Amino acid sequence: MKHADSTGTAADAGSSLTGADNADGAHNADNAGSASAGSPTGAGSADSGGNADGVLRRRLGTGFWLAVGWLMVMALMALFAPLLPLADPTQVAFGGPREAPSADAWFGTDALGRNVFSRTMHGARISLAVGGFAIVFGMVIGGGLGILAGYFRGLLDQAVRFAFFVLLSFPALVLAILITATLERSLLVVSLTIGILAVAPVGLLARACTLVFAEREFVAAARVMGARHGRIILRELLPNVVIPMGALTLLGMALAVVAEGSLAFLGLSVAGEDSISWGKMIVDGAGLRDLQNAAHVTMFPVSVMFVTVLALNFAGDRIRQRFDVKELAF
Amino acid sequence: MARFLARRLVLLAAVLLAVTFCGFAAMNLLGDPLVNVVGVLAELDCEAIAAGTAQDTAVDAAGSDCDTVAAAKAQYHLDRAVPTRYLLWLGDMLTGDFGTSFQNDQPVSAVLREKLPETLMLLVMAQIVSVGIAVPWGVIAAYRANRAFDRGSTVASFGLLAVPNFALGVVLLYLLALRWQIFPSAYESGDFASRVFSLVLPAFTLGLPLAAGYQRLLRTDLITTLQEDYVHMARAKGLPPMRIMFRHALRPSLFSVVTVFGVSTGTLIGGSLVVEQIFGIPGIGREIVTAVVRDDFPVVLAIVMVVAITFVVINFLVDLLYSWLDPRVRTR
Repeated sequence: MKHADSTGTAADAGSSLTGADNADGAHNADNAGSASAGSPTGAGSADSGGNADGVLRRRLGTGFWLAVGWLMVMALMALFAPLLPLADPTQVAFGGPREAPSADAWFGTDALGRNVFSRTMHGARISLAVGGFAIVFGMVIGGGLGILAGYFRGLLDQAVRFAFFVLLSFPALVLAILITATLERSLLVVSLTIGILAVAPVGLLARACTLVFAEREFVAAARVMGARHGRIILRELLPNVVIPMGALTLLGMALAVVAEGSLAFLGLSVAGEDSISWGKMIVDGAGLRDLQNAAHVTMFPVSVMFVTVLALNFAGDRIRQRFDVKELAF
Repeated sequence: MARFLARRLVLLAAVLLAVTFCGFAAMNLLGDPLVNVVGVLAELDCEAIAAGTAQDTAVDAAGSDCDTVAAAKAQYHLDRAVPTRYLLWLGDMLTGDFGTSFQNDQPVSAVLREKLPETLMLLVMAQIVSVGIAVPWGVIAAYRANRAFDRGSTVASFGLLAVPNFALGVVLLYLLALRWQIFPSAYESGDFASRVFSLVLPAFTLGLPLAAGYQRLLRTDLITTLQEDYVHMARAKGLPPMRIMFRHALRPSLFSVVTVFGVSTGTLIGGSLVVEQIFGIPGIGREIVTAVVRDDFPVVLAIVMVVAITFVVINFLVDLLYSWLDPRVRTR
C-alpha cells in the first residue's frame, strides 16, 4: 500500500514517532503488514482468535481505548440526548443570563439563559451526524469513482482524475462556501457539502489501491476463470480497497467535525435556532462581551469539541498505523 | 524542461477554466440569480402581463416592475444560457471588471482592492510565524531525536494539529487579549505598526498548527539526512554540531516542507476566513460572510474566484519549484 501516499512526504512521520510501539517486537509489525497487504479474509482467521485479540490490544494501547471510550460516550449522548433527563436546550431563561456553572446547570447558562450543558450534549447530534454522514458520502462516491477509475483506466480514469484535481484546486472551505451560500442550509445540505470535500482525497486513495490490487494474481485468476467486471470489482477488489479507506474513517470524521465548526463561523452551518451544533455554540459565545463576562459559554463547547477531535485523531492515527496506511493529505 | 513546462501550462489553463466554470455554475444554478437581483419581482410573469393574459391580477400590471426585471436581466445577461453568461463574465473578469456589488453599487474590484491587503498581510505573517517556529523546533527535535524534548514535542504537535483553528483563536483571544490584555482585542486600523501588532494573535492562531505540521516533516527528513555519509564526514572533520545542522543538513531536508507549502496555503486561506471573523479583521473573509448574509452574489463570486485562482497558481508555482529542486519529478 505504498502507493496510497499521495504526497510521498509525510510517509513515515507517524510510525517513526511511536518508538514505544515498535519495541513490542518485530513479529507484530509483520503480522499487521501481511494482514493489510494480503487477503484480509484469510489473515484475520489464520491467527488463533485469542492471540489476535491480544496482539490488537497491545498494539493499540490504553490511549486508544480511552479515546474510543470518549467517542462512545459522545455517540451515546448524541443518540439518546432527547431521552435523557436533560434540560430543554432551547428553553430561554432556564437560569439567569450568563450564569456561572452550578449544580443546576453544570456548564452554566448562555446570554439567553439557556442551559449550556444540555446544549452541548444536544449539539453532539448535529456535529457527529454531519461528520459521520459526510465521510460515508465521501467513501461511497469517492471510493466508487476511484475503484472504477483504477480498474478500467483509460479515458474514464483521465476524466475522474481531472475532476478530483479540480475539486482539490478549491481551498476546502471556499468550495463549501460556494455550495452552501446559495442553498437552504438543512442538515442534509451541510453534510453533503462537507461530504463533497471528502470525495477527492478518498477517491485518489481508492484509485491508488485499486491500481495495485488489479495487478495481483488473484484478480488475474478470477479473470481467467471468466469472472465478469462487476464480480471482480465487488468480490475481489472492493474488500481489499475498503480496508485502507476504512482505516482513515475516523481521521476523516475529525476533519468533517472541524469543517462544520468552520462553516458555523461563516454563518453557513445548519440553519435555524433549534438546530444546535458545537460550531454554532462556539460562535454564539465568541462575541467579545460574552467572552469577557462569561467565557464558559464558549469554553465548554470548545473543550468538548477539542477532546472529541483529539480522540478521533488519536484513535484514527492508531488504526491507520495498524493497517499500515500511509498518511493522506486531505 | 520546455515540454514539461508546456504540459504544466496547459494543465494550469484547463484547471483554471474548470475551476472558474464550476464556481460560476454553482452560483448560477444552485440558486436563482434573478431572485438575488430583484427579489420577489422575479416571480412576475412578465410575458403574460405583456400579452394581457396574466392570471394573477394582484401583481403590478403597470409594467414598471417588468421594466426593472428586464433591465436586471439585460444587465446581468440573465436572458442568456449559463455557458454564454460564463464567457461574458469571464471576459469581464479578465479585464478587471468583477461587476457591481448589490449592496452599495460599489464596483467589486474596489471592494477587493480595499480588503485583500489585510488578508494578504495576515497570510504572510502566519507563514512567517509558522516557519519561524517550525525550523528551530524541528532542528532541536531532530538533534535530540527520541529524547525527552523530542517526545514532548511529538505530543505537543499532535495536540496542536488537532485543535480546530477557531477554537485556538477563541482561546488565544480570551487569554491574551481579554484576560491578560497583552494584545488588542479588536483590530486597530492605524499606521502599519499597529496593524501588524493587531495581526499578531491571528497570525499565531493560523501559524501554530501549521508550525506543528512543518516541524513533523522537517524532523523526519532531518533525521534521515543526519545519517548521510557527508554528515558523518563533517562530524569527523570536527565541525561544530550546529554548523553541520544549518550549513549541511538543513537545506536538503526542506523538500517535504516545500511540497506541503502549496497545500498548506489552501488550509491557511480557509483558516483566515474564519480567523478574520473571530478577531474582526476587515479582510476578504469578513467581506464574504457579510456578502453571503446579504445575498450579494457578485462579491461572493469574485472573492471565491480570487481565492481559488490564487490557490491554483501557488500550487502551480510550488510544482515548478519542486521540479527545479528535484529534477526526477519532470519525467513523471
